[in-house]
Amino acid sequence: MFTSRNFSKLFVGTIFSSVLSISPLVSNADENNWGYVYGADTLPKGSSELYLWATDRRHKEHGKYNAQDYQLELEHGFTDKLQGSIYLLGSSHSIQGSAPLDTNGNPEYPDNSRSGITGAKAALKWNLLSTYKDPIGLSLYIEPGYNNRSKISGEKQDEYSLETKLILQKNFLDDTLLWATNLTLEAERRKFEGAGNGWEDELEIEVTSGLSYRFAPNWSAGTELRYHSEYPNWRKEFNREHYAIFLGPNIHWGAEKYWATLTYMANIVGAPQAEDDIRHLAEHERREIRLKVGYNF
Amino acid sequence: MFNLIRHCFFLSLLLACMMAHATVYKTIDQVKSSAFPDATKFIPSDISLSDAQAKAIEKQSGVRVRNKQQKVWLAMSQDKKIGWLIIDEVIGKHEFITYSTALNADGSVKLLEVMDYRETHGGQIRDPDWLKQFIGKVFGAKLKLDEDITNISGATLSCKHIADGVKRLLSTYDIVLKNQG
Repeated sequence: MFTSRNFSKLFVGTIFSSVLSISPLVSNADENNWGYVYGADTLPKGSSELYLWATDRRHKEHGKYNAQDYQLELEHGFTDKLQGSIYLLGSSHSIQGSAPLDTNGNPEYPDNSRSGITGAKAALKWNLLSTYKDPIGLSLYIEPGYNNRSKISGEKQDEYSLETKLILQKNFLDDTLLWATNLTLEAERRKFEGAGNGWEDELEIEVTSGLSYRFAPNWSAGTELRYHSEYPNWRKEFNREHYAIFLGPNIHWGAEKYWATLTYMANIVGAPQAEDDIRHLAEHERREIRLKVGYNF
Repeated sequence: MFNLIRHCFFLSLLLACMMAHATVYKTIDQVKSSAFPDATKFIPSDISLSDAQAKAIEKQSGVRVRNKQQKVWLAMSQDKKIGWLIIDEVIGKHEFITYSTALNADGSVKLLEVMDYRETHGGQIRDPDWLKQFIGKVFGAKLKLDEDITNISGATLSCKHIADGVKRLLSTYDIVLKNQG
């Protein structure tokens, strides 16, 4: 039986093995200083990068909830200012009695324990202003995607998304202190299995901001802040259904060929709030941990 | 899952550290002889900048002085002063870039060489054709990317920091070395 735990180990193990096996035995490096915030830099023309993203999300208001999201990303610089990416998506869910209850006292989604490949995405990132030569770095990002599993419940669905980002980055102290902020708008259209023609529209608005300071050669540490909000049926009525704010530290290591970033994000406040809690826990978890590992070639 | 992530993170760091090694392209002896093939003697003339000198260099060059200790040799041919050799470090994307700047006796740049570069992209900054554009620069030169110094895409940070480093060294010459030797 393919459990979510086994899948997590297999997915991460396979990717690590692949990354390490294709790497030459030389000294290493590149950069993604944050787990959630995007920097404005793009890859130079002709160069490529392979990433693994693994996000562990845990703990709801009650019951047992743990979920993992995986992304395997291949990025390539088409020009010095334009890069493209393709992503393979996977996820795992282990849910027992953690679904919020509807007005009749029934869980909004069933218990679930599953894992597998769930979708794919593609992205383009266009750098308009250089972080190093212009007063502020500016890039635009667009990412269409498809996912066949709900991020929250793990239920089967068809979901099409279009994510757009405005990325700003400013460096200080001889480029050892980095600040970046992203404004993200993501339109989603989804239909759960068995819902007939019931397509749902949703808009996500997110603002993320991060600092990263290089405190020693190869090592940086910083913090990330994430505001996430959702607007269901936004084409008809533009009302915020919920929001959640996350805050946490990160650490980044980078060398010539490899880099790795680890971010811990605590859910600190949101609305509508869970009972006896200041956080929104229906569609988010108490904490997330994201590990990104990259290999440049 | 947390244990798995933690183990993978530390395993990857361990492997990467094990595989990391310093790539030294030029040694001090090599840059001494390529910069001043006619030199008969190199007199160690290391500088320890005072706070006032560091402040003056920063004000003049517009570049931060991160290290007040500077490795310097005075190159002599017989009894004649023929120039200065300075070993300097600037910040690269991940690590320090070590480079040498040879100055003629009049303070103009004679030769620039990258001694150590360990970044992912932009190894072209070691290309003599890129480094050649610094030759002849004197104190007061702009040394600005896309103006009097061409940029290398993918290595903008390294190019900018080397240009800034040379600007700082030319100010160091003007404030400290010009009247020495």
